[in-house]
Amino acid sequence: MMKTSTAPGSTVVILLGINHNTAPIEVRERLAISPARLADATRALAHQPGIREALILSTCNRVELLTVQDASQSENPGTLNFLNEYLSIPVTDLKPHLYEFREREAVRHLFRVASSLDSMVVGEPQILGQVKEAYTTGREVGAVASTLEGLLQRAFTVAKRVRTETQIGSSSVSIASVAVDLARKIFDSLEGKTVLLVGAGKMSELAARHLIQQGAASILVANRTQSRAEQIAKDFNGQVIPFDHLYEQADRADIVITSTGAPQKIFGRSHGQHFLQRRRNRPMFFIDIAVPRDVDPGMNDVEGCFVYDIDDLQQVAQAHLADRSREAEAAEVIVTGEVDKYLQRLQSLNAVPVIQSLQQYAEAMRQAELRRSQSRLSTLTPEQREAVEALTRSLTAKFLHHPLTGIREAARQGDAQTLAELERLYTGQSNSKSDPPTDE
Amino acid sequence: MSLLWLRVAVLLYAFASLAVLPAALYDRPRWRHIAIPATTAAIFFHFVSLVEMLNAAHHRLPVDTHEAQSFLSLVLAIAFLFIYGRYRAISLGIFLLPICFLLGLLPAFRPGEEATAFPHHLHAGWIFLHVALLLAAYAALFLSLLASLLYLVQERRLKKKSRGLTWLPALETTDQIALKTLLFGLPCMTAGLLIGTVIAQQTIGPTYFLDPKVLLSFAMWLAYVAMIFIRRHSGLRGRRAVYLSSFVFLVVLAVWAANQLSVVHRFAAP
Repeated sequence: MMKTSTAPGSTVVILLGINHNTAPIEVRERLAISPARLADATRALAHQPGIREALILSTCNRVELLTVQDASQSENPGTLNFLNEYLSIPVTDLKPHLYEFREREAVRHLFRVASSLDSMVVGEPQILGQVKEAYTTGREVGAVASTLEGLLQRAFTVAKRVRTETQIGSSSVSIASVAVDLARKIFDSLEGKTVLLVGAGKMSELAARHLIQQGAASILVANRTQSRAEQIAKDFNGQVIPFDHLYEQADRADIVITSTGAPQKIFGRSHGQHFLQRRRNRPMFFIDIAVPRDVDPGMNDVEGCFVYDIDDLQQVAQAHLADRSREAEAAEVIVTGEVDKYLQRLQSLNAVPVIQSLQQYAEAMRQAELRRSQSRLSTLTPEQREAVEALTRSLTAKFLHHPLTGIREAARQGDAQTLAELERLYTGQSNSKSDPPTDE
Repeated sequence: MSLLWLRVAVLLYAFASLAVLPAALYDRPRWRHIAIPATTAAIFFHFVSLVEMLNAAHHRLPVDTHEAQSFLSLVLAIAFLFIYGRYRAISLGIFLLPICFLLGLLPAFRPGEEATAFPHHLHAGWIFLHVALLLAAYAALFLSLLASLLYLVQERRLKKKSRGLTWLPALETTDQIALKTLLFGLPCMTAGLLIGTVIAQQTIGPTYFLDPKVLLSFAMWLAYVAMIFIRRHSGLRGRRAVYLSSFVFLVVLAVWAANQLSVVHRFAAP
């Protein structure tokens, strides 16, 4: 555990928040801060008494207030005050849902959030962008200074490392994105591909939207209710195919998404053979989201036809989710290592003034002793003077070696007491305020 | 010196063969950034060794089996880089880079004799072109077969809804590679055979065309043309495309093997 220095001017990192695990949507939506209000809210938080730096992360699944506060305050009044005053939410209402992390645990939580290990869908990529937006806003309003700057930059590096070294985000876990992934396994790039929507359903529209985002060029819509088909076609800037002409025109599509409520199959095996023949064997991908199914599973046996129904897609999504959980374990190891490294670096930085102070003290003492012996050394030749200079330097360096090693080690272990003791022992003072010796 | 560069190239192929495994199988970008530069460096040293070899001995041509192997290895490595650049299909490296390494291994560490069996030095440049073009055509055919096989495996995987082998390239990618390599190989093979025919006409005369190896070569060309026609005309893919490519590849192997039996057209002993 990182030790909190209580020296005047020292600070503590505190993270206070709620997320999808601790609070229901009714509570989260009361606390949510819209992007338009984020800058103002961050500024208001940063101006609370005792808060030196601040950042607010507000997404649909979490609201977190990351602050750097004066360490002298044992409670967290500034943040609670902000909740009361700015968001007008009584703290008593929130208390059961709030979590608070300090120092090491706050750093660890931030790294986990940025790496998407704390997300509802582990490995989802949006959270890193949201953390970056919060950081940018914090910087813009002047609420992010050196401590949060270093911490956030490290969090981004950790998140990138987790993405690169594990496969936590490599597989899709939603039905729509699984469909897109499968389509990419058939067509590689979806650019220029045509998608046919047969029937209207929320999930099929979502899948179509995903395919368009990935570059699919045109959408054809066939629905028994012509007006509904026209509405969907308008939404997607697509083209309506009369349902009666479905079989004549379906081969224009590379990807067919079916979601009708028809009690019997719409596409049979023979349709697949016919389509493939007209397409000169260019593959077709059928995504059958309907229950009961619209596409005869036998069509999957036709060379060039690939049929996936809702169960197939769900199985892939669930398997990917299990993969992500396994990868998350590896990611947790990376995060723990990075937290240790970050805190050690911070501690080493804390030791720098002590080391500098000790070195300056020793050098001043060496110079003073040389000046005192000046009259006795005046008969020496320049070469002999240089030798004496080198000798005193070497003696000083050798004498300092063990104390400096001890200081670094104490800093690495976060042992503030030993650090202060070593400083007092070797310089006669503490808090890096040692005065160099004067000539006697 | 040329051997030194060739050995460096072969070692780099070996290194790239290992680096491409995590890059392709586990999608590790760091390893991809190692495998691709290693392959590029290997190609550079391989090319340097080839140029030095040809400069050092004016008459020396890649006409013995080891030299032909080495040249084929270089062509395959260049093809891999080109395919990677165009399609980002690094998984082909799992197969191609070890083949480049193995093909380069014997020429680098057990090179052939200095002498070549081909005495007509006046035609050295044309002979080189003849050999180079035909080897490029063989490499193209091999790549096409490999891509067709990968298409077949990917197709089976998608149909069975299997979760393994996620590193396989997309169907359309392998289909494009299979067809475009064939289309690239056709002019190479045609030009290579034409050059060989003209040289043979001038140096040996009409009897050359009665040699079984030569006849087999023309049969190979016809099979190659037929395969391209069928693939383009009917959009042949999957299992049947693999059968067709395999058949033509077997013909090519037979033509290659016939070099050992032919009276008028054979490799120099390594």
